[in-house]
Amino acid sequence: MSRLLAPGDRLPAILILALAALALLILIGPVVVVIVTSFTTSQALRFPPPGLTFRWYQELFDPVRSAQIHRAAGNSLLVAITVAAFSTGLATAAALGIARSGARWARAAEGTFLAPLVLPGIAYGLATLMFFSWLRLPPSFWLLVAGHAMIATPFALRTVGASAAGLDGSLLDASAALGASPWRTFHKVILPLITPGVAAGAFLAFISSLDNVPVSLFLGSASNDMLPIRLWGMMETSLDVRVAAASGVLVAVAFLLLLVMDRMVGLVRKMAG
Amino acid sequence: MRGHQLDIDGVHVRYGSSTAVDGVSLAVKPGEILALLGPSGCGKTTLLRTVAGFIRPNAGRVTVDGRPIDHLPPGKRGVGIVFQSYALFPHMSAAENVAYGLEARRLPKAEIIRKVEAALAAVRMETFGDRRPRNLSGGQQQRVALARALAIEPSILLLDEPFAALDRALRLDLQLEIKRIQRRFGVTAVLVTHDQDEAMSMADRMAVMRAGRVEQVAAPTEVYDRPATPFVAGFVGTTNALHGRVEERDGTGYRVRLDVGATVPVGSPRGFAVGDRVVLCARPEQLALRDAAVADPAAWPARLRLSLPLGPSVVHDLESGATEMKLHEARRGAPPAPGPVRVALAAGARPALFSAGEFA
Repeated sequence: MSRLLAPGDRLPAILILALAALALLILIGPVVVVIVTSFTTSQALRFPPPGLTFRWYQELFDPVRSAQIHRAAGNSLLVAITVAAFSTGLATAAALGIARSGARWARAAEGTFLAPLVLPGIAYGLATLMFFSWLRLPPSFWLLVAGHAMIATPFALRTVGASAAGLDGSLLDASAALGASPWRTFHKVILPLITPGVAAGAFLAFISSLDNVPVSLFLGSASNDMLPIRLWGMMETSLDVRVAAASGVLVAVAFLLLLVMDRMVGLVRKMAG
Repeated sequence: MRGHQLDIDGVHVRYGSSTAVDGVSLAVKPGEILALLGPSGCGKTTLLRTVAGFIRPNAGRVTVDGRPIDHLPPGKRGVGIVFQSYALFPHMSAAENVAYGLEARRLPKAEIIRKVEAALAAVRMETFGDRRPRNLSGGQQQRVALARALAIEPSILLLDEPFAALDRALRLDLQLEIKRIQRRFGVTAVLVTHDQDEAMSMADRMAVMRAGRVEQVAAPTEVYDRPATPFVAGFVGTTNALHGRVEERDGTGYRVRLDVGATVPVGSPRGFAVGDRVVLCARPEQLALRDAAVADPAAWPARLRLSLPLGPSVVHDLESGATEMKLHEARRGAPPAPGPVRVALAAGARPALFSAGEFA
């Protein structure tokens, strides 16, 4: 035993490496399994697959046989884009207000805005449904957007807030003293400097809306069928392998988007910071 | 550009229950540099930000050439500001930074280009127009910041601790440069600083502030030679505080019996009564060493602890009982060995005299 412990920090280092490897396995393993499964020659969602084929992707992209999935994907994309725009705008306004005020209410406001992060999704989804039906509002695209935005805004607020907090107040003073209007200061000085945070926030809001289940479950409807709900329905009724193919497409889209964003604004660095 | 008159009239700024600026009135003459000098928290920066328009005073007013500017936002006051942190826009080149204020004023493109070139040339940065701030040294950044502030042709230039972030060697160069440019443009300037050397070298007049009030406004040499309050005596330059009692009136001054054991004549415009406790504030160069062996009622015994030769001059560290003193004189040969000496006021020295109550 003493021989093992003698090298000092070797044991902790090995422990940390082992934990990191385990975490990676748990994070990446399922993704690998679902992607490999999506190429199966079998009719069933089973791992490992007996053989590999593009058949399920062909079926997934077939405009006739997968019309419902396409419609749901379209709905989901439209909602996610709207939510990303809406949430990012809201989060930017809130983050700038909070960053420029040292007052106690600003800290309280920040806590309130971040609160949805800890709200159980299912409870919140049910609550929105009951609330909107109490207001006698029928399910609609905008209700879905509102419901998703509530969940997505805190994500955007985190990244925009980090950027806004790093903004040097004397830059804003300098801009004002040089005769710039508040609007000019915003789009010439503030916005360019917080763009990394805003872009990261928009990305997180977009993804959080795209794969949201609890709110879509309650606020979705026949005319507003959302992709995650549609996929779940397919799983329940038929164990359709197209679900795995759709998952593969989603993972690829998210990954590509991340790469593009990273290229553009150093996104990964911002999210880490 | 022609100098403009800046008047600060009875300005009060309060934050909740605390008072940051407590009734300050100052007149800055056209084309002069007025330094606001004081320790941190004395209200000098608050006063500057009030003139700039970032802070609305609770009372009092600010006028330029007699016209009130209190109702105007910072951008419409005709003030150029140079910040301690430079505050250059990091995503813009030096030239774009200088152009910023001109673009905000919607000047024609050709005029903007001409003025940016002129402003960069004035601070000798014309070849650095394409550089981003992060590719410029601290001194270069501050020169660009100065060009940016001057490009909008302000009536008043506000300098908020502009040299604090620079190292010593660079500081003097930039001080000379800013003073030269300020002279050339004839722009009225207010310089906020906590560095007395900076205020001494840059300012035509200085206002020494403490706890939101102005203690003295005068030319730097006047402030140094004739401090108005014990605080000014201690804050500007070094002072030796010697406690004593007024023994008798003596023409225009007094004979003061010092606690260290000597009776000295002190001229003072102030009124004291015989028997008053007083504090004599003598600059290090207002004291002189005397031979310990020669008895002289105007010289007091002390012990020389240490001497620091500074090229042409020398500083002696002395003590007389619990009273510590610094004495600065021209150096003659090697410094004397530590030991007993006598100290007196130097010939012609006019130290300041304050009542002990003021000094507390």
